Amino acid sequence: MYRIKIDRSRCIGCLTCVTACVVSHETESTDARNRVVIDSETRPAPIFCRHCERPECVYTCMTGAMKKNPQTGYVEYDKEQCASCYMCIMSCPYGILKYDSIRNVEIMKCNMCVHRTEDGSANPMCVEKCPMQAITLEEVRES
Amino acid sequence: MKYVVLGSSAAGVNGVRELRRLDADSEIVLISKDKEIYSRCILHQYLGGKRTMERLCFAEKDFETLYGITWFKERSCTHLKPEEKEVVLENGETVSYDKLLIATGSHTFVPPVKNLKEAKNVVGFRNIEDMEVLKDAAKHAKHIIVMGAGLVGLDCASGFLELGVKVTLVEMAGWLLSKQLDKRAAEAYQDAFAGRGVKQYYGVGIAEVTLDEENRITEAVLTDGTRLPCDFVVVTAGVRSNVEFLEGTGIELSRFGLVYDETGKTSDDNIYGAGDVSGSSPIWPVAVKEGIVAASNMAGVPRKMTDFFASKSTMNFLGIPSMSLGDVNLEGEDIEVEVKKTKDSYKKILHKNGKIVGAVLQGDLAYGGILQQLIARKIDVRRVKKPIFDIDYSDFFHMKENFEYYFEEE
Ligand SMILES: Cc1cc2nc3c(=O)[nH]c(=O)nc-3n(C[C@H](O)[C@H](O)[C@H](O)COP(=O)(O)OP(=O)(O)OC[C@H]3O[C@@H](n4cnc5c(N)ncnc54)[C@H](O)[C@@H]3O)c2cc1C
Ligand code: SF4
Ligand code: SF4
Ligand code: SF4
Repeated sequence: MYRIKIDRSRCIGCLTCVTACVVSHETESTDARNRVVIDSETRPAPIFCRHCERPECVYTCMTGAMKKNPQTGYVEYDKEQCASCYMCIMSCPYGILKYDSIRNVEIMKCNMCVHRTEDGSANPMCVEKCPMQAITLEEVRES
Repeated sequence: MKYVVLGSSAAGVNGVRELRRLDADSEIVLISKDKEIYSRCILHQYLGGKRTMERLCFAEKDFETLYGITWFKERSCTHLKPEEKEVVLENGETVSYDKLLIATGSHTFVPPVKNLKEAKNVVGFRNIEDMEVLKDAAKHAKHIIVMGAGLVGLDCASGFLELGVKVTLVEMAGWLLSKQLDKRAAEAYQDAFAGRGVKQYYGVGIAEVTLDEENRITEAVLTDGTRLPCDFVVVTAGVRSNVEFLEGTGIELSRFGLVYDETGKTSDDNIYGAGDVSGSSPIWPVAVKEGIVAASNMAGVPRKMTDFFASKSTMNFLGIPSMSLGDVNLEGEDIEVEVKKTKDSYKKILHKNGKIVGAVLQGDLAYGGILQQLIARKIDVRRVKKPIFDIDYSDFFHMKENFEYYFEEE
């Protein structure tokens, strides 16, 4: 599968990736599905969904709306099936999830921008727009 | 190898998935009282007409064929013969196993209130069958009392509101969701429910119900003497695990339910357990993870349950989002309480010697997942030089070779 590699040393905290994420999903929501935060030493840290091998958000989802795709390895979210119970927000260990800020119903979950390709492969707009190549799409192996 | 799984809910379904993932060829038999796979956590949306039966299903539509299993639906296990390695079903049929997973969950507990056991117009809020009874009650009953204002009781009250039915809540504790919320966060819900016409009684219980000749409730008498007209009672005051069929088998049970270790193994080497049947942490994510862990060990891949943090919940009644973690009402000299209020949100974090022990967030839950980790892992947050409400993963940032994040064990 593919994951977005994060090189913190290259990140300058410009938030271009956050804007890119909003733009990529602008027909659905006004929020980003990623974030860049600043640690106690004021160093920026891009916090992006890891599409975990053992995804806590999936284990906790009581409706089946959050699922790990066995083929691609991506953790997919189905807003029609979602009950807006917010259990996944509580369960993501890295504090990546939130609900949309207007209606409070849809979970802002990274989809690897698969909607941008015909064949459902990843095409992250955040990676494409990062001026520093601090985030890159890499193939990784899951056990 | 032949696996038998009892129960087709959170623990059983995820157990089946894991068994098949690790063992492509073995026979898997699923046996359940339920005739369909559905999520109990969203039953209120079914009651309220917001979700169809089809959309209650949390598993794949073609679950049986996808995982290549035999599923005996609507079949209750009534006895177990560990020596013969057989389960006995209610119709007398027996099914043999090499490894058995018990994921039979729990049932509604009817408290010892005078006349309640004999009454006809009483139901719990746990199974799809209960919802059919309640849909009918919604059409006829004028005075529905919900006994208990916990998560399930409020699910029930919300479902009825969707149908335009205003129930009455009776709760022993001083406020609703007393285990999950502090008084202030609870009041937001109490006011919202009151605004929608839901009458609420706190600090009192139902002492007895009055029955007519046909054993139908006509009135409820509260512990303070108040008499309320009542023609239907929904009991949401706790559950008991489904272990009746294990009596006399010698398999170890506790006061709460089935006993198993961190691998899911019971006192019998061929029998595993997972989920609400333990009677200890009756929440969805625990049932799922225990199902996976037990199945993994049954299939010979050792794995342990490490996540023991189960006092956590989220809620979204009447459009008010809240998250509750740990103990939110702790008091004591060394407990520090920090509160942050804005126009739309209320946040409270309790910490002790640098470690967060409880938190309640209301109105704004964004990125709150980190707090659960900090509490569960007992991470000292004093090294984070930011306001406690702004703590995020940046100060714990670690990446594996495959770019997954992790927490450094403290
Ligand atoms: C209304 C409601 C709302 C909830 N909301 C939340 C929530 O918001 N968050 C949360 O984390 N948790 C919630 N829960 C709790 C959650 O639903 C349970 O923790 C979870 O369902 C437990 O799963 P389980 O597989 O252990 O057992 P159960 O879901 O109880 O399923 C037991 C299974 O075993 C079968 N069975 C039982 N006895 C037998 C027998 N003798 N023979 C054969 N089969 C049998 C049943 O048919 C069923 O398939 C809620 C529960 C309810 C009732
Ligand atoms: S891959 Fe797409 S959805 Fe995910 S963070 Fe990047 S832009 Fe957002
Ligand atoms: S939301 Fe969190 S838990 Fe879920 S896959 Fe992404 S990083 Fe993992
Ligand atoms: S909010 Fe939606 S996706 Fe998240 S756990 Fe609840 S039902 Fe699943």
